[in-house]
Amino acid sequence: MSSASAIPATYGEVFDRGYAHYDGRRQGRLAAWWALTAYSMKRAMGIRKPWTAKVVPFCLYLSAVIPVVVMVGAAALLPRAEIAGYPRYFDGIALVTWIFIATVAPEMLCVDRREHTLPFYFSRAITRSDYVLAKLAATVLLTMTLTVIPVILLWLGRQLVANDPGHAMRTHLDDLGKVMLIGVMLAIVGGVAGLVVASAIDRKAVAVAVIVAGELTLTAIAHFSFVAVHADWRRYFIFLSANNVFSAVVHRFFPASTLDETFMEIQASFSLQTYLLYLLALVAIGVLFVRWRYLPRE
Amino acid sequence: MTMAPARTSAQPNGQVARTPADGAPPIIETRGLRKAYGGVVALDGLDLIVPRASVGLLGANGAGKTTLIRTLLGLSKPTKGTGRVVGYDILTQGTQLRQHVGYMPEAEGLPSGTTAADFVGHMAEMSGLPARAARQRAADVLYQVGLAEERYRLIKGFSTGMRQRVKLATAIVHDPDLVFLDEPTAGLDPQGREEMLELVERIYRTMGIAVVFSSHILEDIERICDYVVILDNGRLVTSQPLAGIGDVQGTLVVQIEGDLAAFSSLLVERGYQVERGKDDMALNDLIVHFTDDEVYDAIRDAAVRLNASLRSLRSGSRTLEDIYLGDVGAMREAQDVVS
Repeated sequence: MSSASAIPATYGEVFDRGYAHYDGRRQGRLAAWWALTAYSMKRAMGIRKPWTAKVVPFCLYLSAVIPVVVMVGAAALLPRAEIAGYPRYFDGIALVTWIFIATVAPEMLCVDRREHTLPFYFSRAITRSDYVLAKLAATVLLTMTLTVIPVILLWLGRQLVANDPGHAMRTHLDDLGKVMLIGVMLAIVGGVAGLVVASAIDRKAVAVAVIVAGELTLTAIAHFSFVAVHADWRRYFIFLSANNVFSAVVHRFFPASTLDETFMEIQASFSLQTYLLYLLALVAIGVLFVRWRYLPRE
Repeated sequence: MTMAPARTSAQPNGQVARTPADGAPPIIETRGLRKAYGGVVALDGLDLIVPRASVGLLGANGAGKTTLIRTLLGLSKPTKGTGRVVGYDILTQGTQLRQHVGYMPEAEGLPSGTTAADFVGHMAEMSGLPARAARQRAADVLYQVGLAEERYRLIKGFSTGMRQRVKLATAIVHDPDLVFLDEPTAGLDPQGREEMLELVERIYRTMGIAVVFSSHILEDIERICDYVVILDNGRLVTSQPLAGIGDVQGTLVVQIEGDLAAFSSLLVERGYQVERGKDDMALNDLIVHFTDDEVYDAIRDAAVRLNASLRSLRSGSRTLEDIYLGDVGAMREAQDVVS
């Protein structure tokens, strides 16, 4: 009989595991920054949270992807079916995008402030600026998964249903670059706007409401003002809403769009550079504001 | 001073050095450290050299303890002065410093919808540990603080004591050289406080991590610390070892039922200086001056020989409370005179 089999089945021993020091690698500030970015993205998507936290982001992804799949599928099966152009698609997912940003941005900032976890973060190997930039990166990267990936699928679908997909892909490669650029810009501007609101409001639900209602209200005010005023300067109303400016940018990239000629985005007729400068300024002001909100109050 | 186990620690120059507790460089050095918020001076020219130890940071509420910790962590820029913590400059090496220093904030602040393992592991990553090592360390330190079973439960279901343990785990998960604990027993019931003090004691004695324990409770500091730094209104009252206070040398106050003169003579024969109590209320007290811990045997032997009953035996030496009240009082009086 072996010695092991001689041990009774009820035998147990408790060992003190003691304390082991960590002598491994310490990766420094950049790794800490990335750890915060990745963790923030996971939390915002409801990963390692109850399933209820995953429902909203998942549904929003479906809202952005299902129309693409349906359009491409219909175009492949039905000879007369057409796939929507990029401007129409971007207009279509604008609300979904803003709801997504409203879901993600407050999760990034409001929760840490409301639950007083900031002292834990600031006592680690990052600075306050690193914290803000990590949250910004996390918001933008997540939003890009909604504003870039579906539109790439749309581009791919449009080429695949063509008579010669290989030739279509080569011919429309510049369209791919444009839609990706628009998607990235939308994610950056929307992400920063969302974080600006989230940095000023502690309650997550209030921040969500302010982001969605704010964007809808500003867009509506811009349109109504444009219609109501008949002076030449009414074209400046377009700058009331980032959403309108985006529509105008999309129209500049894809002039042969289906937008009605009476739309403000066309009649405002500012140059593409003006719109881009405006968006850049919005982003810069937004980032500075969020950074200012996280300066030590001494 | 009780020795902590020797440990290996990374140094600012990138080398890994073996730093024994005794003879090790100071963990905290400051020169003329001053922090003012407008007209309010929170720290007033602190010159500190604190050895690797279990250090009590003592002071009343508003004395400047939290400001000092925040400044030493590089989170708050001093108005004037310089400082080094575990070899890192607090002005220019904040992020490197915080990879080697832990901090347990006083304020309640844990994410409720996260498991303890998840949050502690995340904090390890935030201190620069690779993801896999961070998860492993989180499991280890949660075991060390007594939350091995509960580590996959959401923090929102935790009691105050368990939350304090999670906070402690986040402070040591990256195996720092030094950990700042800001009022770790605040809000705990007696049993929770007892358990927390035992844990803090273990951090230095068993794990070999130097501790700065901020509190306004003298008893807690006297119990677990080897060294004390006392602040009052942002000024340094004293910075000294606690060893020697009230145990190795000083005075004992003895009360017996029996022949007081004979009892006194027996102690004098053993080489102790003995005097009678001077106050009216203490005329039956014998004050025994001693320089070694054999005095207790001498008192016992004398009581047995005279068949006297020992009614009371207490330390007449200077306690931490005496130091605190005496030195803080003296400093305030001096300030009053100056002003």
